Amino acid sequence: MKKIYYVLSLLLISLGAWTVMAAEDQCIACHTGLGDAPSTLFKKDIHQQKGVSCADCHGGDRTADDPDKAMSKDHGYKGVPKGNNIIKACINCHDNADKMKTFGSSLKTNQFKLFATSVHGGTSLDGAEWVAQCTTCHGAHGVSPVASPSSPVYPTNVIKTCSKCHSNPQYMKQYNPSLPVDQLEKYHTSMHGKLNAKGNTEVAECASCHGSHNIYKPSDARSTVYAIKLPATCSKCHSDAEKMKKYNIPTDQYEKYAGSVHGKALLEKHDVGAPACNDCHGNHGAMPPGIESISNVCGTCHALNADLFSSSPHKKAFDQRKYPECQTCHSNHAIVPATDALIGVSQGATCVKCHSPQESSKGYEAAKVMRHLLDTLSASEQSAAAIVEDALQKGMEVGEAKFKLRDVHQARLESRTMVHSFSVPKFQEVIDKGMKVSAEVSHEGQGALDEYRFRRYGLGVATGIITLLSLLVYLYIRRLEKK
Amino acid sequence: MQDPIQQSKRDFLKIFVGGGLFSLLGAIIYPIISYLKPPVQAEAEVKSVNAGKIASIALNSGQIVKFGAKPVILIRSPQGDLKAFSATCTHLSCTVQYKSDLGVIWCACHNGKYDLNGRNVSGPPPRPLDEYRVIVKGEDVLISKLA
Amino acid sequence: MKKIYDWFNERLQLEDLVHFLGKKYVPIHSHSVWYYFGGISVFLFIIQVSTGILLLLYYKAGEDQAFESILFIMSKVQFGWLIRSIHSWAANLFVLSAVIHMFSVYFEKAYRKPREMTWVTGMLMLFLLLGFGFSGYLLPWNELAFFATKVGTDIMGVIPVVGKPIMVLLRGGEEVTGATLTRFFGFHVAVLPGIFTVLISLHLIFVQRQGMSETEEFSNTPENEKGKMPFFPNFLLRDLLLWLLVLNILAILAVFFPWELGHKADAFASAPAGIRPEWYFMFMFQSLKLIPAKILFIDGELLGILSFGLAFALWLFVPFWDRKTAQGHRNRFLNYLGIFVIAFILLMTIYGWLS
Repeated sequence: MKKIYYVLSLLLISLGAWTVMAAEDQCIACHTGLGDAPSTLFKKDIHQQKGVSCADCHGGDRTADDPDKAMSKDHGYKGVPKGNNIIKACINCHDNADKMKTFGSSLKTNQFKLFATSVHGGTSLDGAEWVAQCTTCHGAHGVSPVASPSSPVYPTNVIKTCSKCHSNPQYMKQYNPSLPVDQLEKYHTSMHGKLNAKGNTEVAECASCHGSHNIYKPSDARSTVYAIKLPATCSKCHSDAEKMKKYNIPTDQYEKYAGSVHGKALLEKHDVGAPACNDCHGNHGAMPPGIESISNVCGTCHALNADLFSSSPHKKAFDQRKYPECQTCHSNHAIVPATDALIGVSQGATCVKCHSPQESSKGYEAAKVMRHLLDTLSASEQSAAAIVEDALQKGMEVGEAKFKLRDVHQARLESRTMVHSFSVPKFQEVIDKGMKVSAEVSHEGQGALDEYRFRRYGLGVATGIITLLSLLVYLYIRRLEKK
Repeated sequence: MQDPIQQSKRDFLKIFVGGGLFSLLGAIIYPIISYLKPPVQAEAEVKSVNAGKIASIALNSGQIVKFGAKPVILIRSPQGDLKAFSATCTHLSCTVQYKSDLGVIWCACHNGKYDLNGRNVSGPPPRPLDEYRVIVKGEDVLISKLA
Repeated sequence: MKKIYDWFNERLQLEDLVHFLGKKYVPIHSHSVWYYFGGISVFLFIIQVSTGILLLLYYKAGEDQAFESILFIMSKVQFGWLIRSIHSWAANLFVLSAVIHMFSVYFEKAYRKPREMTWVTGMLMLFLLLGFGFSGYLLPWNELAFFATKVGTDIMGVIPVVGKPIMVLLRGGEEVTGATLTRFFGFHVAVLPGIFTVLISLHLIFVQRQGMSETEEFSNTPENEKGKMPFFPNFLLRDLLLWLLVLNILAILAVFFPWELGHKADAFASAPAGIRPEWYFMFMFQSLKLIPAKILFIDGELLGILSFGLAFALWLFVPFWDRKTAQGHRNRFLNYLGIFVIAFILLMTIYGWLS
């Protein structure tokens, strides 16, 4: 019995409150009668539900039933807020944590602060207002919480919302003529876009990577898609094993990448030229590169290697067997600096994965020869460098030899590139070039060392003169004192 | 009176001592004179080098100039401007060269490319090349470090 | 020859000088050999001045040039390696011969009246010599020199009241920097040589005025039994012979044991292992290391430094407090003290090298 009373009284109270509010807010009462769009939309608006009135944004007297009185300037009526006044109307509450609490909201109140520093917080064409206003993305009278599917910034909707401007070349070129407007189009081709189109709200959409209120240019170091920060941004989801489980893809890419030659260059040395996730996978059109296209992707930077590979016998062999090109030998995310150990037939060499002395022995032999040549050049370079250093420490002039040593180094690096031709004669040519210069350097260094030893002969002569002279002086003294 | 043999021996000795002292002097003075001769590279650290006559540098060409122990690439653009950069690639320290057909500074090791302002524009180089100052003094082209 | 001599003689009365030299005699006795170390020191001084001037032609003081310029001297300048090597080796031989000279004078009691001033100027020169060594060591601006200087000047800073200002004065700031290098360069090539030249002139004038000191034994032998040798040409020729010998040793050392350059100093690198001072500072360095940190409320290191200071002062003024020798008695105590000091220095130096 008690329970029924309780429920009844609650119902009564709420009904009462509704009637009181309805009775008090004349704006909505009157405008509903007019049947205009704003009032219709506003009924579904989160603000309306929380007790925000039209007058809170538009000004005027909500209690007056006379329209002239209600919408008179004397009563603070502002009409439709224009330009920055929109944001000012919103932040009246949204910038104020205390006010937000009175509506029972636990939303953050820093949106405007973030927005003001963002690219959209810049000045618009006429210079009088910010580029975007709250309403640009969130809508005006039918505002829903972000988590509500009816919100324009809901994951499946935000694509359209952003592209309203960003896919409009006419509009975009007013601000940044060089900024592409094909993001949406590319996005649709990406795995993210395809899943998003199917209603998946988990996959990355615009805001997942670019942020929402605090969107910066990708070249801005604060941006979440700034080269150095991008891998972390992608890994927010891609390193989350829980999230990735149902897509059946690995989650160790970031970890591997961070330890790779690229990851170290980017994340540790801050070389923004080093590739981040998007440089191989694309950004808006993110997809794993196809097996045949890997050498093209890597070849955007490693052009020589890619060219050599493409004209090598391996190209065909790899394609036939569906081996991913560069990746087969160098791996992908965990790519480490290539060492000479990669080639050859010893343990740890990659060639022996396919070539064995029994099958495809030609390749086996070639690998063996190439490794041997590489080792020879490397040893020759080291010994030449040691001779030069020795001579230098002995105070000999070996500037020329030291200078030439650079050419040996260069030939060795070139030979490492030339490996990708997988042709022994071509490889040998570069190695020979290096060996020749290395021999010259050794010769010059040795010459300097010989010169250093020759100094001792010079000293021998000087010491001889001095010793002889000493002897003569001694004899002279003897004679002198004998007298 | 002294023994004539003794006399002659003493003179003999005297001449030898004198001669010895002279050759000693020579052995001391020779290194000193050589030391005083200014060495080919006149200063401990190279501040500038002469890259040759301007007339001998063709348009749209590049050449490596030895700047102390480091190579510098001197480039004459098709328009005739002279520019000089460190010729050490910022990727793995190979020596770069000028590609006249592409109008870029090119590194043969990994196909790194720099534009004619030394900026890394393609390939693996992480940083631009350091620029050197080119001064044309009469006929001569001088390269010096930027202050 | 005769003509040239006459020409000069007419104007400068060289005869007087020759006459003076001809009448100068050097006593001959069992300890005569020690007389030569003074001459060797003078010879090494001349070598240091001439090679020093030669080095000055190419050396550049400065944090970013000192090391490079020495490298340049050694590899690009003809015979630069030889000049530098000789300068470094001669510096060490100079200290050695000066120390031997000093001890020989000490044990012969040659400092007694009337030669007190000769002793004092000699001792001051020995101190200056150590200053030369200390300042010259830093000039190549290599790693070892940098940290040795750091440690050496740190020790200076321990002395109460005056230590810190002296350290800052020496370093040209709180730390060993390029400013220290220019300062040390100034000391090494201008300040110290200036004072040294004055002292060596006085020292030599004193020796010429007063003649060679004779040992007590020698003084007591009857006049007609005293062995004497004319200074010119006999003694001078012997000097020449020794100089040639020293020159030979120097040349051999310079060529077979070229002075190494090491690696350029880096103020931010951690100190390399095996930082040790030049050998002639080793005994002090080692004793300071061995002194316990605290001795009766007094800082051990401070006590050590003060004791060394006191010892040097006592040593410097030995002619003034050695009453016994002055009265013509034998002062055995001083002989034992001298032997103790030599033993101490040798022991500490060897210990320092081994540890």
